[in-house]
Amino acid sequence: MSANKLSRSSWRWKQAAAPYLFISPFLIMFAALWVIPILSSVYMSFTTGIEPSTFVGLRNYSRLLSDPYFRIALVNTLLSAVVYVCVLTVMAVILALILDLSFLLGRWFFRSAILVPITMSLVVTALVFRLIYTTSSGVANQLLSLLRIPSVDWLGDPGIALWAIVLMRLWRASGYYALLTLAGLQNIPKDFIEAASIDGASYFESIRYVVLPLLRPVIAFVVVTSMIWALQLFDEVWVLTRGGPGSATTTLVTYLYQNAFLFFKFGYAAAVSYVLTMIIMLFSFLQLKLFEEK
Amino acid sequence: MKSRWYTQANVYSGLLLVVLFTLAPFYWMCVSSIRPEATIFSSRLNLLPKPFTSVNYSLLFIKTEFLRWFFNSCFVSLTSTALALFFSSLAGFAFAKYTFYGKNVLFTLVLLTLSIPQFVTIIPVFQAMIALGFIDTYWALILPYSINPVAIFFMRQYINGIPSELLDYARIDGCSEFQIYWRIILPVIKPAIGATGIIIFLGSWNQYFWPLIMTRSQEMMVVPTGLASLKSEVLVEWGMLMAGSVMSTLPILVLFLICQKQFVSGLMAGSIKG
Repeated sequence: MSANKLSRSSWRWKQAAAPYLFISPFLIMFAALWVIPILSSVYMSFTTGIEPSTFVGLRNYSRLLSDPYFRIALVNTLLSAVVYVCVLTVMAVILALILDLSFLLGRWFFRSAILVPITMSLVVTALVFRLIYTTSSGVANQLLSLLRIPSVDWLGDPGIALWAIVLMRLWRASGYYALLTLAGLQNIPKDFIEAASIDGASYFESIRYVVLPLLRPVIAFVVVTSMIWALQLFDEVWVLTRGGPGSATTTLVTYLYQNAFLFFKFGYAAAVSYVLTMIIMLFSFLQLKLFEEK
Repeated sequence: MKSRWYTQANVYSGLLLVVLFTLAPFYWMCVSSIRPEATIFSSRLNLLPKPFTSVNYSLLFIKTEFLRWFFNSCFVSLTSTALALFFSSLAGFAFAKYTFYGKNVLFTLVLLTLSIPQFVTIIPVFQAMIALGFIDTYWALILPYSINPVAIFFMRQYINGIPSELLDYARIDGCSEFQIYWRIILPVIKPAIGATGIIIFLGSWNQYFWPLIMTRSQEMMVVPTGLASLKSEVLVEWGMLMAGSVMSTLPILVLFLICQKQFVSGLMAGSIKG
């Protein structure tokens, strides 16, 4: 009897302690790798970050405002991100609509084919496109010459380099986002569309007035997620041009990298990282608001 | 939709054009990897690898540390994925099926960090790694990816859907709490584990920014940083580089083909870097 009572109370104790034990590995890692670093880098952005580190208040931030390189990085990042997201969303929606067409055969083939680019890492994509973009004898220029168009200095021309990279990104991500949109599209009950066509709406009219509004949440997701990643452009730029020519392809994250790990100006870099974070959060918030209004 | 034959023809030809553009760079990568170096750049457009060779692959394995990088990537990605899945499923279980002090506060904290991009943590983590002597070791590569707030969120959602009666029956049968996790929860959430695991693995396999900062020596490089290091300003051996690119992509493609369902559901649910 007493043995049973003992085991039951120890059993209850174990049950009460269990959640704390289950949480603790995650909690420790989360605190060490996320919470503490986030707070620490906020503090760091108010210091010089270089040994000996002194508190300098908002000096890093005010320096950023008057830093021409920061401004270039900011403009490059914002411009490329906005264009990228707009074109990406349009392409994703169009592709999804086409793939959703009822008469389409071989859907599996098309869906698999457009997923191939996303399996290539950013670095691999950059390397392959570096090959394609080679000025003198790269495939891109060879194709252009077939069409009697003059060669383009894809990565060497300061006016073009950033857009060559955006094009590369569009190539890589369109299929993936198209499939995301397609999934959302297929969740729309067909009755709505049927009702519209019974009412005499043409295909394009029903798309415009019925499907697109219903697709709003999915499009919002595409816009917000692609924007978040677009603003963090680094890998491709660093592999291809290191931010050049000049600072034509410098983005906020490449600027952050240069300041932190080439110049060791940790405090300044931390400030850059927080400005970018605030931009990301601002954009996400605005975009969600934009897509929320009924 | 009324489908006239010419509309259908237009649609199909449009789609085929899209597929052509989509697969062209991939094709170019594969073709360049089996071409002799001299024929990669030529004045005429060479679509087919007429003389083909495997010398690029052998050069890659012999002249560079690629095999080591490949091993590093495998080891790092598998380990951090396993850790991340373990931590997040265990914690997700706790969040979903238990009540405890600070549960809501904690979960809100996790949700908040979801909106903060990871690069913000890189400088302090880098400094911590230096202080701990982890720079240029596997620790520095594995740890940052072994925690994933998004994964916790998914696990909790998924486990919420499991009826609590199942757990009570198990308790009556004499299972300890951990046994409940191991024997009941884990098998039931296999789809979530599969999908989440694939996203985490994919992210870790393709990582460039973090390994670039966390490692210094050639031996500790992972595939992305290693390949990028082969591209110097002066002399680039493109055949080798393309061979490495193919090797880097192959595992992902294989994963795609083998567990297509998991792969696609993982991609749909998670946010892939792009």
